[in-house]
Amino acid sequence: MVEPTTAPVEKPASRSAGFLTRIVRVVGWTSIVVGVLILGFVVQQLFVTTWFSQQHQAELNVEAEEHFVTAEVTEVEYVPPPSTTTPGEGTVAPDGTVTPGAGGSSTDEGAPLNPGKRTLLVETSPENGKAFAVIRIPTIDRLEEGWAVVEGVELRNLKNGAGHMPHTPLPGLPGNSVISGHRTTYGAPFHEIGDLVPGDAIEVDTAIGTHTYEVREVIIVHPTELWVTEPREGAWLTLTTCHPKFSARQRLIVFAELVDGPNWEAIYA
Amino acid sequence: MKQWFLGLPGPMVLKIVIAVVLTLVALVALFFVYDWIGTNMLDSGGTIG
Repeated sequence: MVEPTTAPVEKPASRSAGFLTRIVRVVGWTSIVVGVLILGFVVQQLFVTTWFSQQHQAELNVEAEEHFVTAEVTEVEYVPPPSTTTPGEGTVAPDGTVTPGAGGSSTDEGAPLNPGKRTLLVETSPENGKAFAVIRIPTIDRLEEGWAVVEGVELRNLKNGAGHMPHTPLPGLPGNSVISGHRTTYGAPFHEIGDLVPGDAIEVDTAIGTHTYEVREVIIVHPTELWVTEPREGAWLTLTTCHPKFSARQRLIVFAELVDGPNWEAIYA
Repeated sequence: MKQWFLGLPGPMVLKIVIAVVLTLVALVALFFVYDWIGTNMLDSGGTIG
């Protein structure tokens, strides 16, 4: 007599199915948790940081307006640095050397272009973290109304507004004034500055008055290329932000030159 | 999740308080982690140097 065999054959298959179900469940839940965490990251970066920044901007705009009234503005004598090129008619190379343009004219080396007594309006340096200026770019929607600029480019400064790099001149003064800002988070004030083209206007309100700059060049560099912050002949404004969007790999740089404002005549006359 | 909640010490009211506090602490920690990742990889503020 041969006895029928049934149950022992099904046991391994059942164990295997149970193991698979468990694997699928673990993978499923892990995917859900990871998805929620990623969604949370996106929401935090794009919306929560912007909300915080907008709260700070409201306060900083008031602080900047108060600064315009209370800041001490003085007149100082200005002696232009020696130049061999007529400002505004040459080009500045990445290494800082000036090349005369088609209409550029040379003068004796070491002699100022227009020797004579000139006076500049100068405001006292703002404290770190304080709002002291408002940047406005009429061709960019989110900067049409203006964005408060604070002193300093530390992380906490840039979470509140655009930041002015210390040790560079304040806007409206001779040299190269550098302002940095977020491009995709914390209100993303510089989100669209990649759309700027030569000739576009950038206005900066300070305690001295409104300084108008004109975009000369937009370039992309590595974050370590410090030459973009070096002093320049004339009065320049350099905007820096991350590039490409949603990456901190490179920097987008906008060079703009002063074309109007309370100090323009003293610098360029 | 239910087992974790029931495993918390004390009576039901204390369990709820501990759960709420732990959740808030986890959310704040997550916020800082997100902020660190975002600042270092997504958008550092565009500073040079």
